[in-house]
Amino acid sequence: MIEASNLGKRYGTLEAVRGVNFSINPGEVVGLLGPNGAGKTTIMKILTCYMFPSSGSATVNGWDIFERPLEIKKLVGYLPENAPLYTDLNVLEYLSFMAESRSLKGNAKTERIEWAVEECGLKSVVYRSIDTISKGFRQRTGLAQAILHDPEILVLDEPTTGLDPNQIIEVRELIKRLGKEKTVILSTHILQEVEATCGRVLILNEGQIVAKGSPEEINREMKGEVLLDLVLKGDKEPSGVDRVSGVRDLLKSSSSADGLHQLKIALLPDSGAEEGVFDWAVKEGYKILSMIPKRLSLEELFIKLTREGKE
Amino acid sequence: MVSNVIPVIKKELKSYFNSPIAYVLVVTFLVFSSVWVFYLQTFFASNIASLRSFFSVIPIVFIIVMPALTMRSWAEEKKLGTLEVLLTLPFRESTLVLGKFIAALGLLLIMILLTLPLPLLLSRFGDFDWGEILGQYIGVVLLGAAGISVGLFISSLMSNQISSFLISLFVLLVLTLISQVNIVFALPPWAAAVVNFLSFGHHFSNFQRGLIDTRDLLYYGIVSALFLYLNTKTLVFKKW
Repeated sequence: MIEASNLGKRYGTLEAVRGVNFSINPGEVVGLLGPNGAGKTTIMKILTCYMFPSSGSATVNGWDIFERPLEIKKLVGYLPENAPLYTDLNVLEYLSFMAESRSLKGNAKTERIEWAVEECGLKSVVYRSIDTISKGFRQRTGLAQAILHDPEILVLDEPTTGLDPNQIIEVRELIKRLGKEKTVILSTHILQEVEATCGRVLILNEGQIVAKGSPEEINREMKGEVLLDLVLKGDKEPSGVDRVSGVRDLLKSSSSADGLHQLKIALLPDSGAEEGVFDWAVKEGYKILSMIPKRLSLEELFIKLTREGKE
Repeated sequence: MVSNVIPVIKKELKSYFNSPIAYVLVVTFLVFSSVWVFYLQTFFASNIASLRSFFSVIPIVFIIVMPALTMRSWAEEKKLGTLEVLLTLPFRESTLVLGKFIAALGLLLIMILLTLPLPLLLSRFGDFDWGEILGQYIGVVLLGAAGISVGLFISSLMSNQISSFLISLFVLLVLTLISQVNIVFALPPWAAAVVNFLSFGHHFSNFQRGLIDTRDLLYYGIVSALFLYLNTKTLVFKKW
């Protein structure tokens, strides 16, 4: 459905996107994840034909972005960052303009607007001027505009910013529902969002893709590494735990005067080394006060990947 | 593609009338033109059944009205970020430019139609030459169309409506009054001709007397088309 090959974009001396390759299949929900300034928005602007790339190329539905922008624009529904709206129109006037721009007329227009208003929970504000409605309603008006013409491809730039927790859940549900039949690309820097809605993630940092795959795959690729937080009580300094089989590394060890030792141990994936560590502690004569295994969350992974890029 | 322009025009007109700007402009224009004709030009005392004094001030008034009419068109879209939505809708750039142009021209026509009571009421007091008045009104529309094109183009270069207003004001001031240079200085004939050719004001002087000259028609037509074309090119250029 969407192919990007060697996509690059320069703003003056700043390279916002550098040689990005990806392809997105019909019906996929793909998340672009990355810190601010990673190039997510720029990629979306290129795919929606708002701007041309400085290098490389992309096709949407087989159409080249340079050659068939009008056809692509018809196929795509786009919610830009911060949902820009005409503040001097009311919600209905705005949606009406967007519908007419999408060549919807008469009954079809009324039906689609009613549907979008219903889906996005805008009923109470349809006649209110956009400059008087809250950020949450604005965001949802932007979303309504994007789904109005039943587009095959939805491009949503940070769709849940400015929403309260209940609205965030509603919007994620809506995206999931839409994602069943449509191709969706959404950008976010919120990780739960990706885990909640996306089938596949592209993690971007400084204009490059640093990881891709399903949220689970990325988690696993992150070696599904288990971290063990261990608190022991005993008189002597603990030593030798890193020789237990299945232990990758002793990350941290600190002792306090009352004989408490805190250790952070990294285990190899699926090694079952927890038992080995337990046996080691018993053999050495420690009392185990706590032993908490932790999986590296997507969040820590994200921080790790994006920091590594910087170094 | 032509029918495509209608939603753009509708949206622009709604924007004009949902904000105070249209009303302020129309009322100011009407009040000023009446004050000008009756108080400053002492219409009744001069005892001539002609609206030349009214039309003579129009180019000057338009130096302020046109920038005010067009300052928001692109600059505000950029500031609000709505340009991004607009340019990702299935419109050609030229359609968008045309839509904004027609909407501004529409507002101008409303403004001009509202001055019609002036000749209609005055016709009871004297024998007006209606051909002259028609010519004068055609001139006003053409002058306005050219001013709108210049204003829209400048707005497309700005991201702030105040700077758009000020720069359009300056450009229109120069374009309109440049022919006055010939009154102050004795330029060589060719330079004088160039200066006159460029001037909005000079090309309006025939219309002001109700005369329709093809050269003036062409001038305003070409200026309008040129700046609308440049406006379209600015939008395309921005994609790079």
